[in-house]
Amino acid sequence: MNEKIKVKVTNLIKNFGDNQVLKGINLEVHDNEVVVVIGPSGSGKSTFLRNLNRLEAPTSGSIVIDDTDIADPKTDINKVRENIGMVFQHFNLFSNLSVSENIMLAPVELGKATKEEAAKQAKELLARVGLESKYDATVQSLSGGQQQRVAIARALAMNPNVMLFDEPTSALDPEMVGDVLGVMKQLATQGMTMIVVTHEMGFAKEVADRVVFVDDGNIQEQGTPDEIFNHPKDPRLQNFLDKVLNV
Amino acid sequence: MKRSFIRIVGGLIALLSLFAVLNFSTTPAKAETTYQIATDSTFPPFEFANSHNKYVGIDIDLLHAIAKDQGFKVNIKPTSFNAAVQSVQSGQMDGVIAGMSITKEREATFDFSKAYFMSGVVMAAKPNGKVTSLKQLRGKRVAVKTGTSGAQYAQSIHKKYGFKIVTFDESNDMYQDVLTGNSAATFEDSPVMKYAIRQGTKLKIYTKPALSGPYGFAVKKGHNQKLPRMFNNGLADLKANGEYARITRHYLGAKGSSDTTSDRTFLGLIKQNKGALLSGFEQTVWLTIVAIFFATLFGVIVGLLGVVPSKFCNGISTTLIYIFRGLPLLVLALFIYTGIPSLTGQKIPAFIAGIITLMFNEGAYIAAFVKGGINAVDDGQMEAARSLGLPFGKAMRRVILPQGIRIMIPSFINQFIITLKDTSILSIIGIIELTQTGKIIIARNLEGFKVWAIVAIIYLIVITLLTWLSNWVQRRVRL
Repeated sequence: MNEKIKVKVTNLIKNFGDNQVLKGINLEVHDNEVVVVIGPSGSGKSTFLRNLNRLEAPTSGSIVIDDTDIADPKTDINKVRENIGMVFQHFNLFSNLSVSENIMLAPVELGKATKEEAAKQAKELLARVGLESKYDATVQSLSGGQQQRVAIARALAMNPNVMLFDEPTSALDPEMVGDVLGVMKQLATQGMTMIVVTHEMGFAKEVADRVVFVDDGNIQEQGTPDEIFNHPKDPRLQNFLDKVLNV
Repeated sequence: MKRSFIRIVGGLIALLSLFAVLNFSTTPAKAETTYQIATDSTFPPFEFANSHNKYVGIDIDLLHAIAKDQGFKVNIKPTSFNAAVQSVQSGQMDGVIAGMSITKEREATFDFSKAYFMSGVVMAAKPNGKVTSLKQLRGKRVAVKTGTSGAQYAQSIHKKYGFKIVTFDESNDMYQDVLTGNSAATFEDSPVMKYAIRQGTKLKIYTKPALSGPYGFAVKKGHNQKLPRMFNNGLADLKANGEYARITRHYLGAKGSSDTTSDRTFLGLIKQNKGALLSGFEQTVWLTIVAIFFATLFGVIVGLLGVVPSKFCNGISTTLIYIFRGLPLLVLALFIYTGIPSLTGQKIPAFIAGIITLMFNEGAYIAAFVKGGINAVDDGQMEAARSLGLPFGKAMRRVILPQGIRIMIPSFINQFIITLKDTSILSIIGIIELTQTGKIIIARNLEGFKVWAIVAIIYLIVITLLTWLSNWVQRRVRL
């Protein structure tokens, strides 16, 4: 693991009206590190992730990614987002565009690549996620697992150096989960910095460098997969693991 | 993106000012000797369209003869009586000749010529003899036409004789109300009533002319003072050389102009009025196309203002939709055509006033569903686009709008059909489109049922064609 700090979150607070969802989160993510965020529903882990690329604007605190404070309203958020890939629970592929157009849209629109370059890159990325045959397919013709892999390819097309995953397998049929996790594992081994919110404990154990347990709007405990899963200290974590692992 | 919206709004303003310039450029012609004269579109025998769709009648023929005698030109514009009176008051028109009685009340706002015709109000009822005098009207309904001396007369005696007044905008509707028995009688100027009876209206006159009223030619008080003077001089000449007598005899004499001999079957009516119906139809189609174009432009801009991330723009959008969707089309049309010019002194041609009316009203509905269509696109689509680093405008254009438009298409088609039908309301400001054409034909031949049936069928045909066209477009757009 690299010692360079890629993402530094300091005292992050997010309120929705009177409801405080994030209550002062502090977290450092190093370059090439894979951090898996676990926690019960409603604990604030998705909100936390959405703050990291300002899909939700932080109420207070700072989020520094590569020396840029994205919580600062003066920051050009579009520039920062080019370097942060995001994968959503419901894939959110652009339903008016074909598979390849989904992948090519941002690089071409933002002047990162010509149409030809983007098309070549789209082919390579689709091969990487095992879907080269779907280049011209419509989004509607794909299964959920295939859509999520295209969504990952779409995010990668901008060459991000951080990837955020918001429960990427929660909306999938069980037999599709493996393909998506496979692509994510491959990304991790290639050294991508990843922050993954998930309920896939197997993935967390196998791939995570660090596991973060969030409950009640704050980080209650963090550590290596071995520390978290085999020696949990916080009673809430113990309770949570008891519920998810011993079904 | 915000900047390009401002550009679009700027474009719209430029367009509107172009309209204004067009107005200016059309007005100077009248500065020579051509006066714009308003008249009632349906007041036979004083003014009505003959079977060649040409305006004739005592007023029209007199005015043309006087103009020739005095060496000036007139451009006579038929519209409803109320609109004619208001258009002179607002300065849209220079004068009005519309069988208009000279009254104290009107002299406060108009300068009249000398009286050119003496009329009087008579009571007409069904010839079965059930109602033959004013006394028998107690507890019954009497039909009158808005703003006429008949209406004024009814107002002055309705307490004494204890009847109820119902008002209509069109003579034919008023006669029809008596014929169906809803009203017991009608009060109308005697020459008008005589003419209608000669045209086949099954009513009978039972009283002597009352409230004898002098008809005068009028201009706005203090304006166009030359016009009534020339009218008076011309009238004196016509009376001296026998022309006046010839004209009035032509319309009121025993062997006067009459239309009763012509073919009154459906086919006959269509044949006689082919030209008028065709030009009304063309006007309706033309109005619809131009109105849809501007309404779509206005609606899309206002709709987009409603979804951009700016509270200020959202507020403007909501307010515009609220105002223009809330106003009845009829009120909006009258406000733009007669209200605004009387405030600014700037004339607005009826067609342009009609287009502006439809642009705002239909545009407000379009704005509402444009906004709704965009909001109906899943939030995740915008989030995904933004998370890739696409700015709001690009995300909107490439991802949200293409999906939103597909949602909006059925609403667009619906709105186009509504716009076509709503053009009929513009007959109120005197645009001679299909509905107004129907009114004018009926004013002459009083064949309400048949003519309205013909007009209705024409509307249905156009709407069917428009629906087919829309469905074809819809199939092409849906991928």
